[in-house]
Parts: sequence; C-alpha cells; structure tokens
Amino acid sequence: MANEEERQLLVVIFDVNPVWWGIKSLQGQAQITKCLDCLLVFVNSYLMLRHDNKLAIIASHSTKSVFLYPAQESNQSPDPSKASTSDQAGGDCRYEHFAKVDDSVTDKFKELMRDGCEKNDIRRDSLIAGSMAIALCYIHRMQIESHGNTKLNARILVIKAADDAASQYMSFMNVIFAAQKERVVVDACILGQDSGLLQQACDMTSGMYLKVPHQDAFLQYLLTAFLTEAELRKESLVLAQSSRPREVDYRAACFCHRSLVDIGFVCSVCLSIFCQFSPICSTCETAFKPPVQASKSRKKRRALPANGT
Amino acid sequence: MEEQGEDKAYRWEGDYEKTWEALKEDETGSLQASIEAEINKAKKRRLQQRQRNVRLGMMRHLYVVVDLSQAMCDQDLKPNRAVAVLKALEIFSEKFFDQNPISQLGFVSTCAKRAEVLSDMSGSLQKHIKVLQDLGQKIIKTNAKHCTGEPSLQNSLELCAKSLKHMPSHTSKEILIVMGSLTTCDPGSIHDTITQIAKQSIRCSVIGLSAEVHICKYLAKSTKGTFGIILDESHFADLLTDHVPPPAEISPESSLIKMGFPHHVSPHESGKISLCMSRNTFTVGGYFCPQCQAKYSELPVQCVICALTLVSAPHLARSYHHFFPLPMFKEQEVPVGSSTCYSCCKPITTATYVCEQCAISFCMDCNAFIHETLHSCPGCIISTNHVHTTTNGVV
Repeated sequence: MANEEERQLLVVIFDVNPVWWGIKSLQGQAQITKCLDCLLVFVNSYLMLRHDNKLAIIASHSTKSVFLYPAQESNQSPDPSKASTSDQAGGDCRYEHFAKVDDSVTDKFKELMRDGCEKNDIRRDSLIAGSMAIALCYIHRMQIESHGNTKLNARILVIKAADDAASQYMSFMNVIFAAQKERVVVDACILGQDSGLLQQACDMTSGMYLKVPHQDAFLQYLLTAFLTEAELRKESLVLAQSSRPREVDYRAACFCHRSLVDIGFVCSVCLSIFCQFSPICSTCETAFKPPVQASKSRKKRRALPANGT
Repeated sequence: MEEQGEDKAYRWEGDYEKTWEALKEDETGSLQASIEAEINKAKKRRLQQRQRNVRLGMMRHLYVVVDLSQAMCDQDLKPNRAVAVLKALEIFSEKFFDQNPISQLGFVSTCAKRAEVLSDMSGSLQKHIKVLQDLGQKIIKTNAKHCTGEPSLQNSLELCAKSLKHMPSHTSKEILIVMGSLTTCDPGSIHDTITQIAKQSIRCSVIGLSAEVHICKYLAKSTKGTFGIILDESHFADLLTDHVPPPAEISPESSLIKMGFPHHVSPHESGKISLCMSRNTFTVGGYFCPQCQAKYSELPVQCVICALTLVSAPHLARSYHHFFPLPMFKEQEVPVGSSTCYSCCKPITTATYVCEQCAISFCMDCNAFIHETLHSCPGCIISTNHVHTTTNGVV
C-alpha cells in the first residue's frame, strides 16, 4: 500500500477535438458521450480508492483548454437549474463527492459544446501541449499548498484522440522536460493513431503508453491499466512488462528535408540538425569551413611510392 | 576601491545605510512577506540580466577547481568549508547537466602546493556525483586531516589548460575556481600562465570564500570571467547557479559538428548479449553507434572507437529554450472584482502578471514556475497556430 504520508493527484486531459469525434461518430465507431461516461466511472473508481485522492479534469479543445473539474467560478450569474441539481445531489443518495464531480463535468462539458466552433477551431490535430502546460501549473500550485505536511505524487493521464500537431514539437518538449524535473508521471491512452510525441513523453517520465484497439472496451482498459499509482506498477507482472513501449524513436529529423537521420551535422551555434554538409546554416546564417580533405590525399600519395619501389 | 567613488574612501565615512528600514512587519509581526518580496526582486533582476540575441556557447567544457587547503578546514560554513563546497558542487552538477546536456564537466583539486584531477572531463553525472560524495565522506571521517598546505593556482591552471588544449575550437572552454585560501604557492610566474590562458580563450571565473585577492580578480578580468565573494551559504549557491546558463560566446569559431543519433534496443526485445563500452561489461540492450555499432548504456557520450558524438534528439531540444528566452511578464494590479489565474484556477489576490503576446494573466507562483521550469507561456501555446515566432518556420 502507499505510504500514509503520501497523497495522489491525478489530472486527466481529455481530447475533445470536434473534427475527429465528429468523423468517428458519423462512421459509427465512437461517441464522445459514451467515452465521457466511461471516464466518469473511471474517475469515480479512482476517488473511491482513498478519501484524500485529488483529481482534476481538463478538456483540450482545438483552441482552448477548459477545466471541467474543479469548476472555475464563472462570471455569469448562477443558473437556477444548477442550484436545483445541487439540491438534488444532497437528496438522491449519491456520495457527495461523486455528485460534485459528475455534475461539474457534465455542466462544463455542455457549456463547452454549446459555445460551438468558430472557423479557427476546425483543425484535424489536437493541441495537447497547452493543456499539459496548464496541468503542470495546477500540479505546481497543489504541491505548494500541500508542502510540508504530505508528499504529493502527481500523474497526468492524457486521453488522446486526434493526431499530433507537428507545430507543437518545441512546446511539447519544454513541457516534457518540466514534467521530468517536477517528477510528474505522464500516462497516455490513445484512441486514434499512434503518437510519437506521447511515446517519448511516457518513456522519459516512466509512464505507461497504451493504444486502445477496441473502443467498446475503453472503460476496461482504463480500470485495468491506469487505476494503480505509478510506484505500484512494478509490483504487477502484467503492467511492468507492457509499460515500456517497444521502440521509442529518438532520432532527430533534419531541418532541410524533415527526414529522420542516424548521423547528422549539428550547427554549434544554434543546434540545428542537417543531413549533409552545407556552407551556411539556414537558421542562424553562420558560415562554416568545409571539412578538411587534404590529409587523406597526402596519405595516399605517401603510400603509392612505397608500393611502387 | 575604485567603484566607490572619489569622495568617500571608506564605507563608515559615508552616510549610514539604514538597511533595517527595508524590512516591514505585517499585522502578525512576521517578516515573511517582506523577505519573499526581497527574494522575488533578486530573482527578477537575475532574469532580466539575460540578454537576447547573443551568441551562446552551447557545448561547454568546464573544469571546476576546488581548493582543499588548510583554509578549508574553517568552520564558517557548516560542518566545514570543504564539505559544504562539495555538497554545493553536487547540486551545481545536477543543474549544469540539466541545462547543458551536451556539455562536459571535470573536477580538479588543489592542496599542498599541488593540483590533481579528481574526476576526468566527462558528460556522465553519476560519475561526478559519486566522486564528490566519496570525497565528502572521506573528509568527514578523517576530520579534514588531509586538507593541508596551501593551494597552487598556477599548477591547477596549467593542469586544466593542458587538458583543454585538446578540445575542439567550437566549444566554450571554461574554468571555475572555488578559492577559500588567501594565499597561493606557485612554482613560476603566474602572469605568464594567465597570458597563456587568455590567448587560448579559456574563460576563468573565481568564487572566493574568504576575501578578495588581487590576483584572482586580475585573472577573472583578463579572461573575461566573473569574480565574486560569498556572504553566506545561500549566496554561494546563487553564485554557483549563475554559472549554469551558457555564457555569451567569446570565440567566433563555429563549425558543423558531426553527431550520431543512436538507435535504442530494449532488453526485452533482443536477448543477445554484447559488450557495453561505457560499463566494460556484457549487457543486453543499449544504444548502438550508427557508425561503428559499438554499444553504450547511456547518452550523451563520445564513442571511444570512432570518436563520433552520440546524442538523442531530446538532449538538443533541452537547449533550445536558451535561444528563445521567455520575455518577462508585465506586472499589473488586480482588476476590480476578483479574477482567477488562467492556468491554476487560483483566485488572485496580490498582483497579476500578463503575457504581452497573448494577454492572459497569471498569478505570482505560476509566473515563477513558467519562467524557471516551463520556459513556455501556456496561453501562447493554446492560441491558434503559435510557433515560437523567432524560429522562422524551424520546428
């Protein structure tokens, strides 16, 4: 069992990219409401493990990241219907904490969907890096508030649907390094295609990367793989083996062709990577001396007379 | 005393500085708030001093010279100066490799008029920490018995310079001297050594523990390094941390360095055993050099067989934030009515910090976290199509 003086904090980042979910629901393969229900059941199970487990849920839209739980105080006047649901929460025999979480998530999600999509929101890729940055700030705040008394073990679970956004590489790497420094474990549950960035994130923070083959069993995968804390995973034979991804490709992409290179040339000033020698660096415009070839030819010339004589 | 001006020769001849008036008590009589304000002011000053658009030396070869002479047995730092310095250097090494993953560090000690290498120049953090910890334990056990004699500045400088001469010209060569003694015992003319070092463009900085020594200040000035004297332990940690970020580049040499990005084979996949060159034992799995297929257990490392520098892409990416330092956020008063921080949902009471590019406000803790650890503004990442605007399409 976990130490009595340690607390857990789980931040779930749920990817609600409207294009991906829309396409999948038209094809009849997945529905966002069903996945949200599975997520709520998972989150309730997590809260039931210990009374002081902490939770936060962030929805990652194309152009904004919204905290679904804990609910931010909005500037609008409180909805009279909301007041009635909280009354009902006290009266309908649900555990109060679950009721708070469920109601907050469903209300905020409805608000998010009601706000609709503008033209900028129609993107095929998910902007996960921003949500992860916000999650790290929230974890940092929780760590400050609980320091001294108890140690806080923080985890981020990313439920990703759409593809990677190549433009976010730099911000994503900054976020991963910050997570590594703060000792936050990043887990990934992939509903769509494999994501190279999240594979690297899970490998560098020793988290678990799981691609869900059948979306009907989404809840079962969540409960089996992601419910346990990070330190306890090595005790389980099944999880310990599957937590390391097969082969994480850490090769770099060259700046000129975007192809992966095994051996590359790196500019000493700006650290840009090229696949072949070029006299000028395209990023920082430094001039380079061409590589010295004279010594090879001199050696060959010396060798020939010895063979000849 | 040139910096104090012509009129007052000594500090007591000038006006009194009522430093106690800077601290203010709050209602409960605690000084915590004013102390935090002073710390934040110092942090802000340090962050603002970092210039933008200056060429930085990314690949660094730094030698740290530790004085282990008689003066280090003094107990003004607890438990004694030598142990406190070694502990601080452990923390410094961790921060150094965190911010400069492709750089190398080496340790040299000087005592009894000699200088010797404690730990060779390498990029392996564990090796350095082990050496420092073992030495610290030895000093505690023997009660600093072998911290004797006087240090030799010239011997340690010549030892470091001899080793740094073989380093390629595009790297930034540095020496950091932690000096606790007020004397140095040298075999020859130290001015010749200093001119030689300045000619090799090695940057020497000195951190003194007792008092200002003229030759140390002259050494730092001639080689364009920094010179500082510590006030107490936390000031010592601050002075060391100033050497962690890469310095502005002084040598104009730049070249295209050939580097390899090795492929990782995990132990679960292949059951084949091969010789690991970094540990000199047979292991399963590791990183294979793309040029000569030699195996290593960790990166970054220089292949001993084909001399190719092996790194992984995240190591280079870790240094990118030095090129695009996040600009300071503007401090503003809390607007009328309460507001919450964008990233941590905490209600803001004291002051808000607004990012000038995305106009989103953050609380004080998030501001410190963003600038020190995250190096990216969450608001800018989320707003559409944001790439670091200075990269011109490079990602």
